[in-house]
Amino acid sequence: MTNKGTEEPVLAITICGVGMGSSLILRMTAEKAFKELGVNAKVVATDVGSARSMQPDIIIGQAMHTEEFEGVAPVIVSITNFTDHQALKEKLTEPLREQGWME
Amino acid sequence: MTDVVTAVLVGIKVKDWREAIRAVCEPLLEAKAIRTTYIERSIALVDEHGPYVVVAPGIALAHARPEDGVLHLCLSAATLSDPVPFHHPDNDPVDLIFAFGSPDNQQHVRLLSALAEGLSGSLADDLRQASTQEAAEQIMEEMTQEVK
Repeated sequence: MTNKGTEEPVLAITICGVGMGSSLILRMTAEKAFKELGVNAKVVATDVGSARSMQPDIIIGQAMHTEEFEGVAPVIVSITNFTDHQALKEKLTEPLREQGWME
Repeated sequence: MTDVVTAVLVGIKVKDWREAIRAVCEPLLEAKAIRTTYIERSIALVDEHGPYVVVAPGIALAHARPEDGVLHLCLSAATLSDPVPFHHPDNDPVDLIFAFGSPDNQQHVRLLSALAEGLSGSLADDLRQASTQEAAEQIMEEMTQEVK
C-alpha cells in the first residue's frame, strides 16, 4: 500500500496538441478538482508528444488525444469541457478510489 | 507586472473556423502583438492536431507557439453572430473564440489562469450577452486586471 494521493503526490498530466493553451486551462481545472477531492496531486500540462515519457499516474485530455494513450497510465480520463471542474471530479472519483489514491 | 495587449470583437460574421481564427487574431496583428505567421500557424495546428482547441461547449481557444511569431503577450476574444463548426465531436458549434499569444513559455500562465477562472464562472455568457463594444471591453478589462 502506497501513500500516493496523501503524502506522495500523484502525477497527473493534462494534454493537448501544443501543451500550452488548452492543456493549461485543463491543468487549472484539474488542480481545482484534486483540491476539492482532497487528493495530493502534481498536475503538469504538456503536449501529446511529450506525455508518453513522463510516466504519469493519470492522463486527462479530450478523447481525441487520450485514445492514443491506452495502457500508458493506470488512470486515463477523457473530458470534453476543460472548464468544468465538477464534471472532472465526478470522472476522477471512481478511478482514484480504485487505485487507492483517494479515500 | 506584465502588460497584456487585449482586444474584443462583438458579433462578427465569419464563414468558417479558419476565418474565425483569422478574425479573432486580426486586432492582435494590428496592435503588433503577433506576426501574420502566428495566425497561419494557429490554423495549421488545428489541421495537424484536430479541433482540440474547442475547450468547452461553443468555446475555442486558438493559439500557436511563442516561436511562431509573438511580439507581446496578448489575448483577444470574438463573439460570432453565426456559430461555426470546428468539427469537434462534442463541443460544436463555436460562438465564442479566444486567441492568445505568449513571447515565451511562461508569460501566459497567469493570463490563462485568469481566463480559466473566468470560464469556470460566467465569463463566456457575459461576453455572449455583451451587446456593445464598450460592454465587451469592460468584461475583458476586468478579467485581465489581475494579470496586468
